[in-house]
Amino acid sequence: MSEPQLGDIRICLEGVIPAVMATCAADGMPNVAYISQVYYVDERHVALSFQFFNKTRQNILANPRASVQLIHPQTAAFYRLHIRYLRTETQGPLFEGMKAQLAGIASHTGMQGVFRLLGSDVYEVERIEAVPGAPLPLPAPRSGMLAAVRRCSERLARCASLDEALNAVLATLTDFMGVEHGMVLMLDDAAQRLYTVASCGYATSGVGSEVLMGEGVIGVAARERTPVRVSHMTNAYLYSQAMRSSFEANIPDLEAVTQIPYPGLAEPHSQLAVPVMSAGKVLGVLFVESPHDLQFGFEDEDMLVAVAGHLGATIDLMQATTDAPEAAPPAIAPSPAAGAPLQLRHYASNDSVFVGDTYLIKGVAGAILWKLLNDHRREGRTEFSNRELRLDASIGLPDVSDNLEARLVLLRRRLEEHGGDIRIEKTGRGRFRLDLARPVVLTESS
Amino acid sequence: MPTPQLPSEVLAMMRRGVSAIVASRDADLRPSLMRAMATRVGEDGAGITVYLARSQAGQVLQDIAANGHIAVVFSEPSTHRTVQVKATRVQVRQAGASDEAAVARYLASMERELAHVYIPAPLTRAMLACRLEDLVAVSFVPEYAFDQTPGPQAGTRLPGMRA
Repeated sequence: MSEPQLGDIRICLEGVIPAVMATCAADGMPNVAYISQVYYVDERHVALSFQFFNKTRQNILANPRASVQLIHPQTAAFYRLHIRYLRTETQGPLFEGMKAQLAGIASHTGMQGVFRLLGSDVYEVERIEAVPGAPLPLPAPRSGMLAAVRRCSERLARCASLDEALNAVLATLTDFMGVEHGMVLMLDDAAQRLYTVASCGYATSGVGSEVLMGEGVIGVAARERTPVRVSHMTNAYLYSQAMRSSFEANIPDLEAVTQIPYPGLAEPHSQLAVPVMSAGKVLGVLFVESPHDLQFGFEDEDMLVAVAGHLGATIDLMQATTDAPEAAPPAIAPSPAAGAPLQLRHYASNDSVFVGDTYLIKGVAGAILWKLLNDHRREGRTEFSNRELRLDASIGLPDVSDNLEARLVLLRRRLEEHGGDIRIEKTGRGRFRLDLARPVVLTESS
Repeated sequence: MPTPQLPSEVLAMMRRGVSAIVASRDADLRPSLMRAMATRVGEDGAGITVYLARSQAGQVLQDIAANGHIAVVFSEPSTHRTVQVKATRVQVRQAGASDEAAVARYLASMERELAHVYIPAPLTRAMLACRLEDLVAVSFVPEYAFDQTPGPQAGTRLPGMRA
């Protein structure tokens, strides 16, 4: 029998049937123990969870050779890994990826509070042995994953704006991957937060809601630049919902009032977050979840990483080209503003903008809106360009690489959902129009 | 030979027939392991027999024959209650007709045990598929026993065992 590669048996590492490991003490006494987690690192390496200073641990430190028995969860075929202990990692992408996965395993097996990852023990896989047996026939391989990546690639290649690209990615996940709940968050590097720019499948879009770097699977995926996958319900990675205080007109608690509720599932059973990266930088996170256990396997992770890669490149490309000079679009006479004026209030401390008493937007997107409204009031302008926003120091874009396009998507979507009669419409590459269907009164608050 | 004293509930679990994995090691202290196709545990726990398939467990059987060192972990899938027993002397013989009932009883028990954790019977039967003529019976008296139920107490030596 030809020896399988680790990639061939990745499904055995999903933890459906626990693995067992044999080690040997220096005095020659063998030891055999169940292990919670065998984590695929790459084709030559696996990592095992180090949770307790037990006999297995003592043995591998004294004698690095170990054997692991795995069972194929669909066919019951046995495999033996002959491995050699290399090192233990106690932080970083591998550690965090395993920690999240272990939290799901612990919760699923009633071991919350018992399983705690102390380290990721990395082993070199020296040999993989297919053990003879009478396995069941392998079910037909899951098809269509590559085709789904292709569809996503095609859709993204047709997109001319970030808005379209985000929709294309979420639509691909929905149409071809059976994902019912997903979102894309972009990184605000200066604030070390991720803000939702697009979502699907939730009661509210949650566009504008924020997740702290390092918080939950989304925050960990961004901070550690690694996919994070949880296959069972776990409290360890739930997002804390900020308490919303009531709005007081003159002394609002801006931090509390400007929290847009996180839209995600209250009790997710499967979660998968992958960083959206380009040119070595984290741009955001692509996230999917499900109310059911074991919804996302390693193939889903592979697919999402591929899709996130396309999205990252697309975002970067748009960032680079949105400011390309282009003829101004023909001026369209703005529709006359009519009706009772909208009261808009701006708080400089965090650039939050309220429509009446309702929080609308804050941060860079809030500063952009406030500039547009003020320019409109002073000069009657309705046509704007990305370029001038970038050059306007008052907006406080941290640097040119900050994703202006994503801020505009966020602003546009918040306005659609909560902006009353205020809209911004894209009018061309790097250009857009402010549309006011009602007169506005602007008030600056400190 | 010391008298092993396994807690009654642990002994009951082992006697009923739960997952069992057998390990040994070679002269270079390289560990070997294979799942037992069946087990048989005496009333007092002093006599334990594990059945290994020669076609699957060649290295383990070779190691056991060479040095007598054996470690077996018994685990109840639905509760994770786990115990490991070890010995340094074994008796090895070809399985025969007298073992057939024990092997069949073990399979029936495992089908029930694994059904509790949603593993379907066909998968369990594939996992434990074996031919009597391929089975080797390895018998030993446990010299050491350890509680190995997941948790910080895992590894605790059970009382009454040889020091």
